[in-house]
Amino acid sequence: MKRHWRIFCEFFRTCLVEELEYRSEFLGNFLSSLFGIGMAILTIQVFFYQTDNLGGWKYADVLLLLGIFNTLQGLIDFALRPNMSRLLQHIRMGTFDYVLTKPVDSMFYVSFRHLVFWRLIDVLLGIGLIIYALIQKHYMPTIMDAVMFFISIGSSLVLIYALWMMLMTTSFWVIRIDDLSFVFNSFFETTRFPIGMYRGWLRIVLTYILPAAFITSTPALSLLGKWNGMTTILSVVLAGLFLWISRRFWRYALRSYTSASS
Amino acid sequence: MFRKYSVLLRMKYVEMFAYRLATIVWMTGAMVQPLITMMVWMNIDPDQENAFIFYFAALIFVERMTSAWDVWELEREIREGTFSYQIVRPFHPIHWAIAENIVYKALFLVILIPAWGLLAVFIPALRLDQISAAQWLLFFCALLLAAVIRFLFSYTFGLLGFWVTKVTALYGMFEAVSLFLSGRIAPMSLLPPFLKTISFYLPFRYMVGFPIEILTGSVQGMDIVYGFGWAAVWCMFFMLAVLLLWKAGLRKNQAVGG
Repeated sequence: MKRHWRIFCEFFRTCLVEELEYRSEFLGNFLSSLFGIGMAILTIQVFFYQTDNLGGWKYADVLLLLGIFNTLQGLIDFALRPNMSRLLQHIRMGTFDYVLTKPVDSMFYVSFRHLVFWRLIDVLLGIGLIIYALIQKHYMPTIMDAVMFFISIGSSLVLIYALWMMLMTTSFWVIRIDDLSFVFNSFFETTRFPIGMYRGWLRIVLTYILPAAFITSTPALSLLGKWNGMTTILSVVLAGLFLWISRRFWRYALRSYTSASS
Repeated sequence: MFRKYSVLLRMKYVEMFAYRLATIVWMTGAMVQPLITMMVWMNIDPDQENAFIFYFAALIFVERMTSAWDVWELEREIREGTFSYQIVRPFHPIHWAIAENIVYKALFLVILIPAWGLLAVFIPALRLDQISAAQWLLFFCALLLAAVIRFLFSYTFGLLGFWVTKVTALYGMFEAVSLFLSGRIAPMSLLPPFLKTISFYLPFRYMVGFPIEILTGSVQGMDIVYGFGWAAVWCMFFMLAVLLLWKAGLRKNQAVGG
């Protein structure tokens, strides 16, 4: 664990050095992030122009959910997304052999090697929106709320990582597609709105099979003081389960990997 | 001209089949956002459920038939310098792009129409027996015009790549704004009045929303005439823009990397 942390810090440092060469783009990136979150808020305002609740959630609640969504999306774009196309290229060109021969866990390496720092702006904007929504609601989370929030946001990070890796692992077989990440985007879009909005079998699918509910709705409810111990435990269990499955899947894929051009 | 086009179309057809899996996956992925938006609206107003199902199904169809991707291609080609190969050809590069659009949209049509028919068996909201022949005619005209405007819009931005390096980012911003103004976030009738008014004069409504409004019957009488009028104005505007930018761009172009 400690070793992996040290390696991660090293990735962090090299990518930061790389990124600092493009400092002049910072303002443009900042503006585009600001624009993105502004548009998302405007979308919600268009919806709330016609109603006062969405699946039982009030305006400020949905804003808080959007804040969490934006934060998580920022983290995905920061650490996971930049690596997807690179893995595909490694597999296609056969350079994945070099990754395998490195004395570091290959799944860890392919998922965190490249980081895009300016995406952290989205994380900051998301956190800002969470705070703004809490102020709007005049709600001060208690210690217990915060604890529950951090547990559930931890599991949602693990869930995202596991789902992302499962998708990324399929690239061992589906090498014709340049970028699989938009499959994940399609799924992740469903977490932008409260889970209470989905009905019938779709809600069941989005809770247990593709656990979108635990990614944004559970942390948001925790922060609003509407947590429920069972749900939080369930989110931790599901996160563990999905991580285990993705790990097994990765191992399975590695076994079937036959290098290119040989 | 006709022979040239038939060769181009055949070429693009073969090209498309090389990437068929990517095309299909990409196409299904593009349906998710309208479906989620549909569910939001069904939650807000459960009484109108059927109307929303119809609207957003039509939206997915129109979206596919009008979608434009040329700005990404042009930007990449201009940046990498491969656009030079296209310039030296005796046939204007825009024809290659048009042929590609025709082939892909024909494929979408072949997939989407049977899919609609099949779904209509199970979902009564999707049945089309209420729509008159005049509506159909107007719908197809508006759809064609929408596809042309959106294509030209995208091509205009692509040509701006001769001057601006990050033209896709700029295009992305316009796309984001157009979500509201083209009727993709909400049917026009549900938009706040301010947005509704400006969307009438801007090109975005005529890229997606207008054909659907004709189909659902929410735009009628003189409003249809005005709609076609504005659509024609924007169509002409972007044609002129492509023409002028093309001429100026060729003078500006310095192929990168030779």
